[in-house]
Amino acid sequence: MPDPLAQLRGASACYDANVALNAVDIDLPEGRIIALCGPNGSGKSTALRVMRGLHAPAAGQVEVAGRPISDWTARDLALQIAMLSQSPEAPGELSVSDLVLLGRFAHRGRFGGVSKSDTQARDRALAVTELEALRDRPIGQLSGGQLQRAWIAMTLAQDAPRIFLDEPTNHLDIAHAFEVLDLLRWLNRSEARGIVVVLHDLNMAMRYADHVVLFDKGRIAAQGATREVMTEITIERVFGIRCRLVSIPGQTLPTLVPLPKSERAFDTGQDAAE
Amino acid sequence: MTPLAASRLTLTGIGLLVLLVVATGHGSSAMPPLRVIAALLGEGTRMDEVIVWTLRLPRICLAVLCGMALALAGALLQRVTRNPMAAPSILGVTDGAAFGVVAFLWVFSDAGNSLTVSIHWQPMAAALGAFAFAGIVAVMVRLDPAGKGPLRMILYGVALAALAKAMVTLMMILGPVYRASQALTWITGSVGAAHWSDVMILAAGLLLCVPVLWLMRHDLRQLSLDPESAFSSGLSTGRSQAAFLALSVLLTALAVSQVGAVGFIGLIAPHAARLLHGQFTPGYLASTALIGGALLLGADTLARTVAPPLELPAGALTALVGAPLFLWLLMKGRAVHA
Repeated sequence: MPDPLAQLRGASACYDANVALNAVDIDLPEGRIIALCGPNGSGKSTALRVMRGLHAPAAGQVEVAGRPISDWTARDLALQIAMLSQSPEAPGELSVSDLVLLGRFAHRGRFGGVSKSDTQARDRALAVTELEALRDRPIGQLSGGQLQRAWIAMTLAQDAPRIFLDEPTNHLDIAHAFEVLDLLRWLNRSEARGIVVVLHDLNMAMRYADHVVLFDKGRIAAQGATREVMTEITIERVFGIRCRLVSIPGQTLPTLVPLPKSERAFDTGQDAAE
Repeated sequence: MTPLAASRLTLTGIGLLVLLVVATGHGSSAMPPLRVIAALLGEGTRMDEVIVWTLRLPRICLAVLCGMALALAGALLQRVTRNPMAAPSILGVTDGAAFGVVAFLWVFSDAGNSLTVSIHWQPMAAALGAFAFAGIVAVMVRLDPAGKGPLRMILYGVALAALAKAMVTLMMILGPVYRASQALTWITGSVGAAHWSDVMILAAGLLLCVPVLWLMRHDLRQLSLDPESAFSSGLSTGRSQAAFLALSVLLTALAVSQVGAVGFIGLIAPHAARLLHGQFTPGYLASTALIGGALLLGADTLARTVAPPLELPAGALTALVGAPLFLWLLMKGRAVHA
């Protein structure tokens, strides 16, 4: 069996006095698309941040890409794992091209300028995210979808074999959200990059992820292959809703349909129509 | 560097040189620029050369170099704190340095108005004061749960700057009378009495900074990202932030130990460089330094020529430009995206 991408044993994490992650064991396989899902405040983002060295665990062991997380230097870890946080910030006057080039930091030496591999990685990232036409535009003038793509391009330019993304589809409309996830799938399938992504939309997770970790109140409700984790019973238990997995003709994957808590909610509309 | 950036930088440099020649010509015995240049090149009359080389040039060089140091300190602070309103004088560093110097003069002067230790310790005292006040601001920002906001940091800085200024004023007034004559220098800043040896100290300090800043240029650019993105891209954020903060405090202390608490250069110069050159164009720091040098030289030249024989404190003039800029930044309110 190959080394796992990440392995957590009894890992806990807190924000001040609040326990966000409560003695969890997590195993993430290499080379897959892995979705971290769960209700708000269930610990999925915290788990991702702990695995990327952005948040120090309060207890337990965290091993990433074959080494304990505390043994990595910032630069070495960046060469292994790129990460797009939830709300990244940069000055609005920075051009798209310059922002993407910032993703090359870990590859650049103290003495040299921009190398050929830097410009190549930048141009490739701009091409993949379809931002070539906007390369000289200041990022302060981009639309929400374009800006998110620019940040993704910066993350790609880092050329790391693994990419972590914290809710990359936030603030994106449905078309742009699909675009981002299609891109992640392409990166995984054709470039063999491991992807770990925090996703709110369970249908997105079911459609794109090979492996799902489901969080619930700082613990792990279920983890494993997507089909095994995403069952009606598990989802109902974790999210406190009623739902059905429905097969749509022509689609191989089932679709999750949340149901209202009471059937009455359906009836009220009819009277108004008459 | 692109040809455009290089030509902008050259133009700024030429602007500074022209200002330097004009400033050298200005004074109680006015000299036209050609005579100044002749004296500078050693082709002038004996009298002109004495006026230029002994009387005026040390003060002018000191103004330029201190302006450069303060401007660079401001640019570094703005980048590290990701706050366009940050500057050494606004975060209490400038007045902290002045406090260090005044405390040093207080402790180590005897009744005969002479120092009991070497004057060369003065920059060290300035650095201690600057580090102390910068440290207090940093600790307060860290302890405050809402302290990460750009405005809270500025509020702590302004409050501590006021405290340092008050302590400087009190020490001058409560101290023996002979020290009061120096009061203006340490409260508002003045380039007044300059010697070539002071110029050399500053020049050496700035020259040491050049290779350090060049080697850390990628780190400085990376810090324009939010700390998490910067770390994820491979920057050891804590270490580089600490290094740039220390460098900024040292540059401020170096300048303040020579010219006193001149404020706002570190705020104005980086903003002017952004407009004239661009924050992400190579050569931004060089542009900031040239503009800072020109600013303090301009302020000092006005200070000594507007109402002769009276001398205004140069710091009052820089505040006259800097304070409105600060208010404008405050009202514009886009404080987060430095």
